[in-house]
Amino acid sequence: MRFASLIFKNILRRKTRSAFTVLGIAIGIATIIALGAVMSGVTAGMEGMLKTGKADFSVAQSGISDLSFGKIDENRTSEIELIEGVEKTAGVLLGIFPIEDHPYVPVWGVRKEDLQMLGVDIVNGSSLSQEHDLIIGEVLSKEIHKSVGDKLTFKQEEFNITGVFETGSVYQDRGLAFSLKKLQEMEKKEGYVTLVYVDLKEGANVGEICRQIEETFPDLVTIKSVAELSKVDKGLEIMDAASMAVSFLAILIGGIGVTNTMMMSIYERTREIGILRALGWKKKRILSMILGESILLCVFSVIIGSLLGVLGVRLLVLQPMIRGIIEPLYTLHTFMRAFAVAFAVGLVGGLYPAYRASKLSPSDALRYE
Amino acid sequence: MKKRGKGLNKIISTKNLVKTFEGGVVKALNGVNLEVFEGEFVAIMGPSGCGKSTLLHILGGLERPTSGVVVVDEVDLCKEKNLDDFRATKIGFVFQLHNLIPVLTARENVQIPMIELKLSSGERNERSEKLLALVGLEDRKDFVPTKLSGGERQKVAVARAIANDPKILLVDEPTGNLDSTSGHEIIQIFQRLNKDGRTIVLVSHDKEIAERAGIVYHMKDGKILRKITRD
Repeated sequence: MRFASLIFKNILRRKTRSAFTVLGIAIGIATIIALGAVMSGVTAGMEGMLKTGKADFSVAQSGISDLSFGKIDENRTSEIELIEGVEKTAGVLLGIFPIEDHPYVPVWGVRKEDLQMLGVDIVNGSSLSQEHDLIIGEVLSKEIHKSVGDKLTFKQEEFNITGVFETGSVYQDRGLAFSLKKLQEMEKKEGYVTLVYVDLKEGANVGEICRQIEETFPDLVTIKSVAELSKVDKGLEIMDAASMAVSFLAILIGGIGVTNTMMMSIYERTREIGILRALGWKKKRILSMILGESILLCVFSVIIGSLLGVLGVRLLVLQPMIRGIIEPLYTLHTFMRAFAVAFAVGLVGGLYPAYRASKLSPSDALRYE
Repeated sequence: MKKRGKGLNKIISTKNLVKTFEGGVVKALNGVNLEVFEGEFVAIMGPSGCGKSTLLHILGGLERPTSGVVVVDEVDLCKEKNLDDFRATKIGFVFQLHNLIPVLTARENVQIPMIELKLSSGERNERSEKLLALVGLEDRKDFVPTKLSGGERQKVAVARAIANDPKILLVDEPTGNLDSTSGHEIIQIFQRLNKDGRTIVLVSHDKEIAERAGIVYHMKDGKILRKITRD
């Protein structure tokens, strides 16, 4: 018999209690996995949106808390293009419309000639030519069963689907694009865009050009990566903070559960611990045993919690309210973080009971009734 | 397992051993002087609360005396810092309640003390099977304690006590919870272990058991009243 197998068998002594403890922590882990996957998905989607196609960076209105509220004078697009080092710019108006049974579909108002720069690749049909032409993302096309030749009506406007596109970004491929002018008219934002994408000439200094843009146009801010998104959109930051807070609470509750379980376990096994000490077990061996049990409980929790987390997100994205806006992304980092948190919970939750057990006087433990 | 012979070597010696509890209010041992030679079978008798178990705990390094001297197998237990190693290698304990780990089989329970020794898994298995055979439980090695009778559990506890081949066995009321047949079998095992040269110090109320010992000490109120030596 190995020491590790004793640890394993010890936690099976009270199967129901261990199962509930594992479940308690697993819910915390599932929360971390689910929130992590959603956050990673949203971040990747935003990243794709901010640096779409050939664009090196994007420009948004400064001083706003939500990117979609941004209003940039459309003329800025051509003014930025005049800056040395800038190859091309593309102004895009973003909107979100309910389409068919999808409540949130990202919609792009673009100029036909900017589609290539934005990385929009027509895989079926043709590009935009008329005001009521529309190209649909490949993912959305499959989800709502609409393709080239079909008509799509929203906001009391009827559009002809002329093409199906893909960009490589699931967020964008779950959307659609049509004439910038038409969207400006529908959104009552004539003469405005939400974002200006900037493609630089080879060898151009990105930092320098960004600085120049911000100096020349104080109402604008440049975004080189998703890490800078907080300049114009607090959504990710708020989501991240909420995710951290929920995870922390879940883990705190899980940690208290582990401590309680292990304390009960050592009270029940006080006499047995006395016997082990009488048989020559060192304090650190007792400490390792109790800590090992606590950590093993948390390892089981990671496995079950990960499965629950993945399952939970799958169920979540099936909900009509959420469909289309969340594309979870399971990264190794998310699972590593969940494992690290569970390990820490096992260690911290088990530390006090293990310390108490190791400090038991063998003689007193043997007298314990 | 080593064969040991009876010798003239003093293996346990206490002088003026005092143990008090609760800041001196309770005096469990009050000047105990005891000498045990290698290979002896010693029984300590006396009424409940006379200090028998406390004496056994001190001899086994489970607690330290308040004052006095106690030397066991050349280890001064008042000065020795590492009593864990002392207990792991020099002493085997058997208690009234066997306290086997319920989720482990008889063989695994016997291996518990071996965990502190650097033995391979194969060595531990081999040794535990031999020990279970020694106490007549070779065919019960894979049974968990709940599938064993009271006598069988106590036999596993005896096998566990000698797992690390200690010179001395300290036994506290080993038959207190057993029927007479099982009790008799347990005492026969102790006699066999003693014949092989192991020193046994046994605490009991049971006069029948005490009669099997070569030397009987009678204790009362924390003191040894008399010593009876049998031939």
